[in-house]
Amino acid sequence: MAYKDFRDFLNTLEKEGQLLTISDEVKPEPDLAAANKALSNLGDKTPALFFNNIYGYTDARIAMNVMGSWPNHALMMGMPKNTPLKEQFFEFARRYEQFPVPVKREETAPFHEVEITEDINLFDILPLFRLNQGDGGFYLDKAILVSRDLDDPDTYGKQNVGLYRMQVKGKNRLGIQPVPQHDIAIHIRQAEERGENLKVAIALGCEPVITTAASTPLLYDQSEYEMAGAIQGEPYRVVKAKDADLDLPWGAEVILEGEVLAGEREYEGPFGEFTGHYSGGRAMPVIQINRVYHRKQPIFEHLYIGMPWTETDYMIGVNTSVPLFQQLKDAFPNEIVAVNAMYTHGLVAIISTKTRYGGFAKAVGMRALTTPHGLGYCKLVIVVDEGVDPFNLPQVMWALSTKLHPKHDAVIVPGLSILPLDPGSDPAGMTHKMILDATTPVAPDIRGHYSQPLDSPLGVAEWEKKLSQMLR
Amino acid sequence: MHICPRCESNRSEVVSHSPVKDAWEVLLCPVCLFTWRTSEPDSITDPAKYKSAFKVNPKDIPNAAHVPPIPERL
Ligand SMILES: [Zn+2]
Repeated sequence: MAYKDFRDFLNTLEKEGQLLTISDEVKPEPDLAAANKALSNLGDKTPALFFNNIYGYTDARIAMNVMGSWPNHALMMGMPKNTPLKEQFFEFARRYEQFPVPVKREETAPFHEVEITEDINLFDILPLFRLNQGDGGFYLDKAILVSRDLDDPDTYGKQNVGLYRMQVKGKNRLGIQPVPQHDIAIHIRQAEERGENLKVAIALGCEPVITTAASTPLLYDQSEYEMAGAIQGEPYRVVKAKDADLDLPWGAEVILEGEVLAGEREYEGPFGEFTGHYSGGRAMPVIQINRVYHRKQPIFEHLYIGMPWTETDYMIGVNTSVPLFQQLKDAFPNEIVAVNAMYTHGLVAIISTKTRYGGFAKAVGMRALTTPHGLGYCKLVIVVDEGVDPFNLPQVMWALSTKLHPKHDAVIVPGLSILPLDPGSDPAGMTHKMILDATTPVAPDIRGHYSQPLDSPLGVAEWEKKLSQMLR
Repeated sequence: MHICPRCESNRSEVVSHSPVKDAWEVLLCPVCLFTWRTSEPDSITDPAKYKSAFKVNPKDIPNAAHVPPIPERL
């Protein structure tokens, strides 16, 4: 089930009681960020927020926390809002396997309504604001950015759609942080090796399915648009950019077209990141914006990011877990049961697996470290038995507390790669990684006293049914 | 000209005026590229109250690490 555009999804949220409109006047700072951080503290079923009365603005409209809860994530997939997380995971995994679904092309889009090519001033066009107190400026952090591979522009999947933080650093200038593990870093390097600017397009206010695909760690040559089609179960609608051969999401509110300036680096940051720490200030590439178009009275979508959990964690929880799950299943198709890589974007990953023989679970853990996402994340991998639900942390803690023998089951692998934003990495981008094997030893590993696992009294399943009916 | 609360250069310029007259202005420092709104709390707008851990010395800016490094031209 596809959402027509961003507004269509907001309407669904409203119908489902998952959109809270704040009509009282709020200050751009610190109210917008504070309200969102406060909302994140109120549990995992929170609504999106819609602000329409912002001090100093006449008609700014800002939507936040659009995917910041499990009900909103379920609605993104067109599922009932109370769908349990584990069910969302397995449904996402099922749709992931429908990839690729080719795109549907359109000639025009609603965002063609208003076009600006002269005297662009992003500070006037967009209701920008500060998120965290130490941020170096105002950021776009829920915009998708589209670019192409210059060596192989005709391979569709190598067109990249990604989510990157972008600091607004001038009327028509953005700073971008290209983490080396991410695809945009490859495109920028290709362009700079040629001494050319890299054409890019940025879309703000998109339906959540493309944001989800853009933040999924797909393989380099897999198309995010074709994955968005798979997730929504019908072809994703795109329209061509005007200044470059790039596809844009048809349902976006605002489009910025521009180019990464070859060989330029400019001071950027700090920015309060998903790790719960600020990134430092560093010199990063610059994007010059040449063209803006947007819907009349556009809705500006923004995301509060900071100390977990925030919208970011709901947005990249399931879609980070599923690629790891699929890649591990490629290696061990009969064993892997489920993967929970929801903690700080997969810096911690929990894998539920069957074990074929002694030592097997440690091999599963090491495979996780060598998956594309694992190369930049997966600092701590916890492996649990098939009967342990990796999304149920009390069960995971039970496995750790009873199955793990530190002498045998804690494995540290030195000197591996990690994303440089990990505040514990030293030097930035390097770390040791750890596997905790919390599975039951099997032959020839004969350690421990595990021959008498606790069973349930007879008839528990029947009583579960009976009592749940009585409790309705 | 305004003083940048972060690097204390005096070259900051107004880049945006509030659509509602005189509510606020957005300022941009061309030295450290800090951006702020005049209606923000004084822990952001006042150079004396800006958090010391986040202060920037203009002399350090040219030495900031390049992320990513600029590659050799092919
Ligand atoms: Zn400054």
